[in-house]
Amino acid sequence: MKAGSLGRYIAQRLLLAIPMVFILLTLLFLLLNAAPGDPVTATLGGRLPPEEIAQRKEALGLNDPLYVQYFNYMGNALTGDFGNPITDPRSVVQIVLDTAPATIELAIAAMLVAILLGITVGALSGRLRDTPFDVGGRLFGILIYAAPVFWTGLLAQLYFSVELGWLPSQQRAGGFDAPDPITGFYVLDSIITGDMAALGTVLSHLVLPAVTLGLLLGGVFIRLVRVNMLQTLRSDYVEAARARGLREHVVLFRHAFKTALIPIITIMGLQFAMLIGNAVLTEHTFTWPGLAQALVGFIGARDYAAVQGIVTFIALVIVGVSLLIDIFTGLVDPRVRY
Amino acid sequence: MTSTSTGGDNAVLEARTPLKTRLHHAWRPFRESSRISRGLIFSGLGIIAAFIALAFIGPLVYPYGGTQYRAETSPGEFTTFPELAPPSAEHWFGTTKDQFDVLARIIDGATLAFAVMALAVSIAMVVGVTLGLFSGYRGGRLDRIMVTAMDAVYAFPPLVLAIIVSFVLAAYLSPGVPSAAAAVGLVYIPQYFRVVRNHTLSVKEEPFVEAARSFGARNRTVLGRYVFFNVVQTVPVILTLNAADAILVLASLGFLGYGVQPPTPEWGYDISQAVNDVAAGIWWTALWPGLAIVLLVMALTLVGEGLNDVINPLLRARGKAGRKIKAMPMARRRDRSQRRSDAAEQDGEGLAVKVRDLRVGYRTASGPLWAVDGVSFDIKRGETVALVGESGCGKSSMGRAMLRLMPPGGVVHGQVDVDGTDVVTAPGSEVRKLRGEGVSLMFQEPMTRLNPLERVSDHFVEMIRTHKPKTAREQARALARDALVQVGIPPTRIDNYPHEFSGGMRQRVMLALSIVLTPRLIVADEPTTALDVIVESQILSLLERLRAEENVGILFITHNLGVVAEACDRVAVMYAGKIVEMGPVDEIFTNPKHPYTRGLVASTISLNTTELRSIGGYPPNLIDPPKGCRFAARCPHVMDHCTDTPPELTEVGPDQRAACFLYPGAGQPVPEGVVAPSGDPQVSGI
Repeated sequence: MKAGSLGRYIAQRLLLAIPMVFILLTLLFLLLNAAPGDPVTATLGGRLPPEEIAQRKEALGLNDPLYVQYFNYMGNALTGDFGNPITDPRSVVQIVLDTAPATIELAIAAMLVAILLGITVGALSGRLRDTPFDVGGRLFGILIYAAPVFWTGLLAQLYFSVELGWLPSQQRAGGFDAPDPITGFYVLDSIITGDMAALGTVLSHLVLPAVTLGLLLGGVFIRLVRVNMLQTLRSDYVEAARARGLREHVVLFRHAFKTALIPIITIMGLQFAMLIGNAVLTEHTFTWPGLAQALVGFIGARDYAAVQGIVTFIALVIVGVSLLIDIFTGLVDPRVRY
Repeated sequence: MTSTSTGGDNAVLEARTPLKTRLHHAWRPFRESSRISRGLIFSGLGIIAAFIALAFIGPLVYPYGGTQYRAETSPGEFTTFPELAPPSAEHWFGTTKDQFDVLARIIDGATLAFAVMALAVSIAMVVGVTLGLFSGYRGGRLDRIMVTAMDAVYAFPPLVLAIIVSFVLAAYLSPGVPSAAAAVGLVYIPQYFRVVRNHTLSVKEEPFVEAARSFGARNRTVLGRYVFFNVVQTVPVILTLNAADAILVLASLGFLGYGVQPPTPEWGYDISQAVNDVAAGIWWTALWPGLAIVLLVMALTLVGEGLNDVINPLLRARGKAGRKIKAMPMARRRDRSQRRSDAAEQDGEGLAVKVRDLRVGYRTASGPLWAVDGVSFDIKRGETVALVGESGCGKSSMGRAMLRLMPPGGVVHGQVDVDGTDVVTAPGSEVRKLRGEGVSLMFQEPMTRLNPLERVSDHFVEMIRTHKPKTAREQARALARDALVQVGIPPTRIDNYPHEFSGGMRQRVMLALSIVLTPRLIVADEPTTALDVIVESQILSLLERLRAEENVGILFITHNLGVVAEACDRVAVMYAGKIVEMGPVDEIFTNPKHPYTRGLVASTISLNTTELRSIGGYPPNLIDPPKGCRFAARCPHVMDHCTDTPPELTEVGPDQRAACFLYPGAGQPVPEGVVAPSGDPQVSGI
């Protein structure tokens, strides 16, 4: 393989991401500034004397013409400054640093559950098309997708926490149970500090939200993997592989499954958006102190500045993730690099 | 989410066909779909119908409203509902902490859900379709910007987007159905945009649009009709899946407190109100609204998925409709070992394959179809036999049957003996070992037969080590290099990926794969159809060398008679699932006996061709084949008794046999005065 081709491919993807960021941020700015009035009045109006509100508006640059605000916003966002909330003394960057690890920890755990479930059930369903296993797998996938994550979460809390008392239903490990914070990722922190008691508590808090969220995403994965397996299983090279006398499991995994994964990886980028949306609900249900929960809080407080900052951050993460997925696809699929 | 694709470019032409035909046409995929897909769709539709009844008839029938907390017992006298009462005769689903009747709230919630869903999907569709048409029609920079913007919106978390939109909308509208629908609907605009825009863009380049324009049709009429008929195929799937998703997003908004104005009955909001009940062990306030969401979303998804199964040609089940055809029973072990020792004795004959009464059947919605119907022949080692015939006569089915490589619903009957193993009745593991080692199959389409993610070397190593597990990796690679050299590919390219080769080279790689284990028989299924003449003759000379030097038997499936004359020893002519004539290549070309063979030979074009001849008519339907000779309907020599019984293959010359009543021995006496045609049909006619 030519060494330069992958590098050139990555550079190309990076260049394509620039207009994406630009347009996404512009859309967000327009959307959030479509509301009449100004954020300071909306948030603090009536609670502070008018002079102070005017002063704060001036300080936040809200008296500038819209295009000046737009350029300031874009410039700040691209240099990693997401502004300051009106109702919180911390900067948005600080809030992200404080809360994102909890969200990422939850997301990774949920993804593990989802991938394990989705890939095994989906691949087998595709292979055993229209058998009872396939119908069962599909119905399970549809059922789990149809159940709102907050409702499944409630049922899980009712059964495993209230009824059986096995697992905590709310919060991350807190107070004395929490490991000494180093990275903010509690699982990692408790392993680094060797605090096994804390690890147990941390994991027990993680189980219910992660499985709830993971099941939901897994339902989507089952459908995705199954459909792609169906398509690759009838492809010409799978028939050719059988004609060469390869063993069925080799045909299935090396030939059908591996190629079926490529569109799945691509669609994972869109699944990421779904993950964030459902993380909002999961964090809310389990009072998990993550970024999504923080966002919901700021929306409730009508804090435009904070909402704008956090949403901008999420938008940048999304572009970053889709970039990573493109690069990963390039690594796996030799055809893409050309 | 779910991949959909559109098939028909024929759709636009059908705008004027009568409605009945078109309905029949639209129903066809459903008839051909599997029972399970249909079951999914209809059970989903049933649940949706039940919910529609609940939403629109329920409020008229059920005595309580969703925000009613007391009932009038007698005029002017009210009794308030109990708080958090469990399900009872008065309150079937119980009551909430606000003294509302749970069932009444479910009913009103359903009405609201349908209203929001319908409005949201309509908003998304109208906006998405309009923007898509505009963007695709205008093209250029504006189109590029809009596509990126739509991609950006699509990549953004739908729920977060809906929250922000409802947050911004709250400044203008009081929370209610329109604002909730707008927030939910915005999320789906990109999907409609994308579908419509892609079709609009592609239609501008379609040749028949050019054609329609040149006939003076108005540009926009053509465009609109084409896009409409294509989009109509994908939109139902997107629409139902969006409707399902809309219910979930609405409930999520309600749960987070950004939906409709409390205490309007809304399932998600009701669940959020029930959060504290759950901890106290009160289950009915949270369970019912949740179940309502699950059921309705599930039903919509079932319909969407089922439709996708039916509409998307890539997902359509094959061989699942109609009556199942029974497979041949497995041979018993004693029979098999007996046969093997027989074969060892006969090896002096040097047969590559012995085929007896081979039948290949497919399961179809209108009954079993026998694509190959009672075919017998032998191929000796070191002999090339051509199998010729029109498209759809069963040639490729027969090639696959030699390896028992059947698509779902396909069945092989009869006997295919290779090296003492009967491919038809041997257990799966033995057949698998035979594939590639005893019998190799070369395919028609070189471009798609190699796994795009594996290097060429991987294909070889994997295959060699499957059949000869003790071969070391390096040894296998050496074998692979030898095989590649034989087909004229530089061994240095062994680690390239398939897409780095041209079509001709890929076909040679396929050939190298089929010879690397020196099989007894190679089945070459139109291996040169997709290639240019130079590559074709290279492949042919390679096969020729294998035949002569390695003593390989070759079954060469083709419809190109020129290639047959060049490369084959004997020819079998197939028509409608049966062999109608078989003989040495020279006889078949200079003195064919069967009228079909004569027609086939006459219709080839050579330098001596003075008059272009062809056979009129089409082959018969194999689901219900004619009782007598299958060629009778098209035969210029047809006689009365031809349509009564099928003719049998009979000796018509040295080593030449034909199945035709023009010759004695075919099963019926030849009537007096009937003279069989002879000589070169290009000269003497069919």
